[in-house]
Parts: sequence; structure tokens; C-alpha cells
Amino acid sequence: MIEQNILNGLMSGWIYILVALGLTLVLSIVGIVQLAHGEVYMIGAYTVYCFCVVLGLNFFLSLLISILLVGLLGVVLERFFLRPFRDDVEGAIVSTIALILILQTAVVGIAGVGYKEIPSPIQGVLTILGARLSWERLIAILASMVLVSALLIFIEKTRTGQAMIAVSENREAAALQGINVNRVSSVAMFMGCGLAAAAGALTGAIFDLTPFMGGFALMKGIGVIIVGGLGSIPGAIIAGLILGLVDGVVTALFSVQVASITGLIVIILILLFRPQGLFGHG
Amino acid sequence: MDRRKIVPLLSPAILLIVLLLVPVFISQPYVLHVLIVMGINITLATSLRFIATVGQFSLAHAGMVSIGAYSSALLVIKLGLSFWAALPLAGLTAMSIAFLVGSPFVRLKGIYFTMVTLFLTEFITLLVTEWRNLTGGVQGIISIPRPNAIVLPGLLNLTFASKVDFYYLALAMVGFTLISLYAIESSRIGIAFSSVRQSEALAESIGVNSAGFRILAFSLGCFFAGIAGAFYGHYFSAIAPGSFGFLLSINVFIYMVVGGLRRFAGPIIGAIILTLIPELARAFKEYEPFVFAAILLVVIFFLREGLISLPVLFRKRRAPR
Amino acid sequence: MATLQITGLTKYFGGLAAVHEIDFDVNRGELVGLIGPNGAGKTTMFSLITGSLRPTRGKVVFNGKDITGQKPHLIAKVGVVRTFQATTLFSQYTVLENVIAACHLESKISFWEAALHTPSSRRSEEAILSRASDIVHFVGLEACKDQPAGSLPHGYKRVLGIAVSMAAGPQLLLLDEPLSGMNVEEVDRTVALIKRIWERGTTILLIEHNMRAAMNLCQRIVVLQMGKKIAEGTPEMIKANREVIQAYLGSGKNAP
Repeated sequence: MIEQNILNGLMSGWIYILVALGLTLVLSIVGIVQLAHGEVYMIGAYTVYCFCVVLGLNFFLSLLISILLVGLLGVVLERFFLRPFRDDVEGAIVSTIALILILQTAVVGIAGVGYKEIPSPIQGVLTILGARLSWERLIAILASMVLVSALLIFIEKTRTGQAMIAVSENREAAALQGINVNRVSSVAMFMGCGLAAAAGALTGAIFDLTPFMGGFALMKGIGVIIVGGLGSIPGAIIAGLILGLVDGVVTALFSVQVASITGLIVIILILLFRPQGLFGHG
Repeated sequence: MDRRKIVPLLSPAILLIVLLLVPVFISQPYVLHVLIVMGINITLATSLRFIATVGQFSLAHAGMVSIGAYSSALLVIKLGLSFWAALPLAGLTAMSIAFLVGSPFVRLKGIYFTMVTLFLTEFITLLVTEWRNLTGGVQGIISIPRPNAIVLPGLLNLTFASKVDFYYLALAMVGFTLISLYAIESSRIGIAFSSVRQSEALAESIGVNSAGFRILAFSLGCFFAGIAGAFYGHYFSAIAPGSFGFLLSINVFIYMVVGGLRRFAGPIIGAIILTLIPELARAFKEYEPFVFAAILLVVIFFLREGLISLPVLFRKRRAPR
Repeated sequence: MATLQITGLTKYFGGLAAVHEIDFDVNRGELVGLIGPNGAGKTTMFSLITGSLRPTRGKVVFNGKDITGQKPHLIAKVGVVRTFQATTLFSQYTVLENVIAACHLESKISFWEAALHTPSSRRSEEAILSRASDIVHFVGLEACKDQPAGSLPHGYKRVLGIAVSMAAGPQLLLLDEPLSGMNVEEVDRTVALIKRIWERGTTILLIEHNMRAAMNLCQRIVVLQMGKKIAEGTPEMIKANREVIQAYLGSGKNAP
């Protein structure tokens, strides 16, 4: 039984990583705490529902379309709702709250509040090391790994990726070096929202969809960033796995509720004793 | 006294008399209910702004309201205390928890502090939902008794059987909150808050204990949130964790920002207008979030200083160049 | 006993010594300069003295009291006040309000009396307004006293910073490059201001890049290079000191 929960925990962990990496990209490069990140995640899920269930396309194709479309939506949102409030905490909070309200209400209006389901892309269950793992959970883990690897490669190997790192460290200095900060922000937003959309879609294949599923994702994303360290990609990966495993293992030993509280306690302990996160700078 | 001195003294007095006489002329329970809810929102929005004067945005208010509501309900139901003792104790409980939890995090800057307050609300909601023996879990607590009657023969007969008595209690709560917070803010303490907000480094360099003032602002702001929570519980007579979630924190934050957080009266205006809109637009209930979002966007893009800054803008337009 | 005694002050950031085994004193009523090429550790010294940074080793003693590593606001309260770069102001307040706020914050009236608006706290309001106006006049900013601090030209902002520090009634004033970014006229006026502050009995420790002004103003100069003290003495002694000349020529800066 415990292997089951560990595997579930790993899967949750990878999804948290996707959400957190997306949020980190927006936070470090665009410079905004995107409180509506959970809603982007939710829209990713609903977009896949639309293409896969309503239009009958293949799940993986729908996933790709969702990543692209939601990524583009993100670019539009960044231009009009985020960029004006780059160094303006109060304005960013208000603007992203407005986005939460708009996005949630729009989805409620279009799809209603009832639970929706995305059927599993591949039916059946695998058995790995004595634990039963449904295909959709395995796909979630593998797809997340692929996306994260793609992101890391992009950052290391491309000029835009390196520019993103420069902007995240010091925006003014990057601009002085000739980097087009606005363009880099758009790319970062595209990727950040794409990751969130993927996370939402992968979660949607496992659990039910609701227009209010975003709040949970936001909390987890912020938690991972706090534990891993602001702006740190390895931190986000490790923290995501830690928090995912905590969820899985503690649920096995006690209950879901205790796991939630334990997760929160881990985050609070980090804030108390290592506020910059495991891998953050001082 | 010349005219300039009489008007500022007279207006609050007239306002007070008008407010005291409202139930005499208006007896529809529904109108009184809206005014009472407005009173709760004004208390919450003003106390949230109090925390913002030191430069910190808190999303913990919902959690503090929750603590106030549950503390008061439990003190009255389980320990048999009188409402009049439980009310201040509820406020003190919220304040103590704010102090205990806020202190380690008080040095966190800007958005980090806000995130911690968000987690605090989550944590409190989770705790309240899980501690079923104490709090009734998801169902919450029902049949919270009315406040104990105040009977002064010939003068007062408040039994809280009708909304009128609750209206006066709400009025008293708002009055107490506004007077206390205004007095503190217009004192040297307020100057300390403002200096920490504008430049913590400079404030520290001339001897201001910035961490101390941050904790003070946060604790006191949460005290009044706790009081509002206790009032809420005994007015609605039922509370559940669902009433005090993230959404409540956001709503109070919106009242504050839309009204305008630079001026003391801003959140008051924001709370009044944003309490009225859902009531006036009952027909469009599904679109309420859109309306709120639209208002938020209009304010943040075109009217940064909030609704309270409108009169000043008009005056500037009309002034001869 | 010297007012400020610094012994063995050392600060490591990671493996790098920003400041290494610094010893010097500042005596009561002196005007001492702290100079050195960029990266010498001068501003780090200020942060160590005022408590924003904790030293790795060493002691800071003020009027016989060990203040090493104490909290900044407590160190300010015992009389050590520093100035900052220009953007450190109460930018929403006007010039006068900045100084009034500073006067209030160092006032001896307790906060409770102020919150309750007692008669004695109200009387002190007038005293504070009067004192603040005097300070604004003393530093020469009365012409712009009602301007928001954020909208002032750079040079005026630095002077306002000095005014705010003065309002805190310091015994020891640490001026961090007060003349940077000023034109010739502003430099002369501010040098005169610093002299006037010193003549009133305030002990001053001054970081400056402007060599002419530093030599002009200071009675004694301490020279840092790469975190170490390389010379100490009167301006004449420093001007003739080989190591000091080397340090400046080596880093490409103007020689003293």
C-alpha cells in the first residue's frame, strides 16, 4: 500500500513541479506574483476537455493544442494585465485578482459548475514494483519529466533562454546589455502558462475538473517556490518532489487532511528557519 | 467660533444623529440587514488598511474573522461566558495569534509576507475543518446564542430579538473601530507606521523599531477582525469554515483598494459601495464577479488612489489654471 | 576615551574579506574622513557600525558601550545616525514633513501619550514644528519645504537626508558620500553645511570620493584599500603617503 502512495506522491510531485516552474518563470522574469496562475492551470484542463471530449481529438494532440493556446492567452494577459504592474505589488495583486474573477466566471458561464471528466488517454493499469499505477498517472509523470527537460534544455542552450536567466537576475542590467526585456517576458509567460496548462490537463485526466480547481494548484505552486527558493529551478524540482512525497506518504500513514496540514507545516518551517528556501539566495 | 471650525465639528454630529435615528424611520429588516453587513465590512476594510499603513498587505483577515467567530461562539456555548465578555476575548485571541504567528515573519518583505498571510488563512481553515470535536468540522456551529440582553430600566432595552438591536451594536462596533484606529493613526504611532512604509532603512536609522511597529500594526488590525468575527457569529447565529475562506480575504482587500488606501475614509467608501452593489444587482448574481472584476480594473488602471480620490480630481479639473 | 572605538573589525562574505582587522578611533568633536578606492569597504564599515551588518570579528564601542552587532534602531537611539544614498527618503512626505516625522520619532513623549492626544503631547507638537522648521532653514531647504521629497533634484535629496539625520539629534553622524552627484555650487554649499554641523559639536565620520572636499573638511583621514586600513593621519600626511597614492593610481582613480 505504501508503494502505491509513494508513487502517487511522486506523480503529485511532478505536477506540483510543473505548476511551480511555470509560476517561477512568471515571478522571476515577468516580475509579477501571478495569483491567477491556478486559473491558467484550470483553463488548460478545460481546453483539453473541449478538444478531447467535445471535439473528439486524441488526448495528446489536445494536450499540445492546449499548451499552445493557453500559452498564447498568457502572452496576451501579460501584455495588458501584468506588464503595467511590474514593480507594483499592490497593483499586481489587484490586477491578478481581477483575472481570477474573470477567468473563473467565464469558465463557469461556458461550462457550468458541475464536475467534468476527461477520459483516460490509455485505459488500464500497470504494475510497477508491486504497486498498481494507472496509465494516466504514469503519463502525468512522464509528460512532466519531458516538459521539464525541454524547459531546461531551452534555458541552457538557446539565446532566449540565457536572456531569460539574465533578466531574472537583474532586469536593468539585462536591458543595458541589449536584451529586449519585453520580448523575453512574453516568452517566459508563454512557457509558464504552457506548463500550467499541461499540469492542469494532466491532472484533469486523473481527477475531475471544476472551475475552482485552480486555487489548490496556486497554493501548491507557491508552497513549492517557498520551500525550493525563489527563482531556483533545481529548488523547484526538489521541493516539488518533497512536497509531493509528503502528500503521498503522510496520506498513507494517516489521512489526506493530516497530509495537507503536514505540507503546510513544512512550508512554515522553511519560512521560519530558512526563509530564502532550500536553494534560494540570501 | 468661525464657520470653518463649526462645520467639521457639526458634520460628524449630524451624521451620528442620522445614523442613530435610522431604525426609527426604516423598519424593514432587509434594509437593516444590509446596513449591518455594511458595518461588518467597514470594520474589516478599515482594519485591513491599518495593517497596510505600515506597508504590508495581509490576506489573513478571513482567518482572523474565523478565529474571532469560533472563539466567541465557543466561549459562550462551552464556557457559558456572557457575550459581552466573549467579544473582547475573541478580539484578543485573534490579536494574540496574529502576534505569535506574525512575529517570526515580520521581517519578510512585500509579497512574501502576503503569501504567508494567505497560508495562515488556509491553515486556520484546515485546522477548523479538521478539529471536529471543537469546531463541528465542516458543518460548523449552529444556534449561537444572541448577545445577552442589556436592560437599563427606562433607558435601554436591548434584547437582540430584532435586527434593530443588532443595528445599534454594529453601529457601536464601527464607531469603536473607527475612533480607535483613527486616534492611533493620527498619533506618533501613525507617523512611525508611515515612515516604515515609505523607507524602512531611513526609519531604522533614526531609531524606529520597524519590526516592532509592523507587529503592532498587524496585531491590532487582526484584533478588530476578530471582533468583527465575533459579531458575525452571534448575528448570523451559525458559522462554518466555508464562510471564512480565501474569498473573504480577497473581498476585504478589494473594498480597501477600490475605496482607496491612502486615506482613512477610503475603505469605508469602498465597503459601503461594494456591499450595496451585490444587493442592488440581485438579478445579475451570476455576473457579480465580472462586475467586481470590472470595478477592480477600472480602479487599478484609471483611479489608482481609489474612489475616495474622485472629489479631489473634480476639484482639480474645476480649478482655474 | 574616544567616542567611537573600532577594534579588529572584520567582515567576511563567503570566503571574501570585505573588511579585515580594522582599528581606528574617532574622538569627541572630531571630523574624520574615511576614503579609499571603490570596493575598499567604506560603506561596509558604516553598515557594521550601525548594525545593519554583523561583523565576523571585532568590536564597535561607542561612549564606552559595546554596540557591536546590535539592532540598527537601538544603535540610532544611543546617538549614532547615518545617512544614505539619495533614494532613501520618505518620498511621499514633503521636505518639511520628512523632518517633522523625524523629530516626532525621536521625541521623548511616549507613544501612549501620543495615541491618547494628551495636552502635553499636543504642546510638543508645536515645539516639534518649530524645531523642524529650524532644521529645514539650517540646511537651506526652506524654499522647497512644501515640495514632495520624491520630486526634489538629486542634490537637494542628499541635503534632506542630512536634515532628517540631524532631527534625530545624533552625537555621532555618519555621512555616506554626501557630495556624490552634486555640482560645484551644491558641493560648496554642502561642505559649508557639514562644517556648520560640526561646529555645533556633532562628531562626524565622513565617507567621500570628492578628494578636495575631504581634504578640506577633515581633521583626520583614514584610508582603506581592499578592506584593510593602509594609512591614517592628517590630510597633509595622507597626501604625501606613498601607499595611498599607489592605491589610487593603481585603481585608475584621481590621486588625492
